[in-house]
Amino acid sequence: MSMTQEEIEALMNDTAVDAEENNVDDILADIDGIVDDSDDETNDESELNVDDILAGIDGIVDDSDEEETEDNTTEVNMDDILAGIDGIVDDEPETSSELDSQTTTEEAILPPSTSKEHKIVNQLNEVAEDTEEKASQIFDVLSYILDENEKVIKSNDVSREFIDSQIELLEKLSSKFPNIDIFQENIKKANEAKELTIQTTDIVNEENNKIFEAMEIMQYHDINRQKIERVMSVIKKLTQYLNGIFEDGSNKPEVQVAKHISGDGSETVNEEDIDNLISEFNIGN
Amino acid sequence: MKILIVDDSSTMRRIIGNVVQQLGVKKEDFDEAEDGVVAWDLCQKNKYDVILTDWNMPNMNGLELVKHIRSEGSQHKKTPTLMITTEGGKSEVITALKAGVNNYIVKPFNAPTLKEKLAPFFKK
Repeated sequence: MSMTQEEIEALMNDTAVDAEENNVDDILADIDGIVDDSDDETNDESELNVDDILAGIDGIVDDSDEEETEDNTTEVNMDDILAGIDGIVDDEPETSSELDSQTTTEEAILPPSTSKEHKIVNQLNEVAEDTEEKASQIFDVLSYILDENEKVIKSNDVSREFIDSQIELLEKLSSKFPNIDIFQENIKKANEAKELTIQTTDIVNEENNKIFEAMEIMQYHDINRQKIERVMSVIKKLTQYLNGIFEDGSNKPEVQVAKHISGDGSETVNEEDIDNLISEFNIGN
Repeated sequence: MKILIVDDSSTMRRIIGNVVQQLGVKKEDFDEAEDGVVAWDLCQKNKYDVILTDWNMPNMNGLELVKHIRSEGSQHKKTPTLMITTEGGKSEVITALKAGVNNYIVKPFNAPTLKEKLAPFFKK
């Protein structure tokens, strides 16, 4: 809380008194024979008075110039640091708008309109349906990967069968022509290629298992949907209860209510206003 | 082996279908229904070897469906029926068993659990 102008003036007057006192002291000092043994005390007292006054004012914080400068420096540094971090959003304007909204409390507490986008059950239902749709799309993607992985496994099987036949052929040739090294070398390479196909199939199978795990985890979509539905059910029952408790069971026709009742405030007219209106419309006399 | 999967969540039907496929059932050998009414209609038109149903569904819930399945004159009076549901209360399990389900699985489940519970019916 900042000081008011009155408080500042009060402080300044106090200081002025001190200044006047100093002048008197100076005058007295000029007069020979006068020994001032109360100088220090007076100064101390005046200082104490100022402190007392400051202490007596609510919200006065001793923020001397030096500290202010330090604070400013810190703020600048903090701003620099914050500016360097991605994703940091300056939400200070929101704080000020909060303060603004406090001044218009009546507007702030008004509930939102009952349009479709504000109906709670409607919104929850949309969330449930939308996530169902998206979950189904995710499932499509996972299913596609599974199907493609199956193709990879089948292609690998075909490749392995071919490699096996080549190994068999090379082994026959190698046994028939043991002096030709190329057959042995190719047998070795063919075995390495076969090993690669086995490894690829293992990797794809492992991937498939992970996809099945992901599909299992997607059950939480259904579980969470049912939790939302439980909340919707409570809200619906609460709505029925509130409708029941507020409804008029008397079957009386709705009474037209007064718009402005005397005492409501500035909107109502007094005798003088009525007279003025009557004279304005030239009615009566 | 013909299987009927009943669940109002299409995701759940696909998850269950996936596990069933892992057990060797072909895609064309299982039917899906999104509620008890559709399921009961399919039950009257087709003969299933196993029925897997959810509990909480619109129009007709799983418990009512089981009661229909176990009713006199139903061709599925003795068909193995499993309840797969989020209802995890003891009283619900008892209610379902009294209605005639052969086994009960609480969601979320894992594939081995469903396979284990289905295995006895697949051997027959």
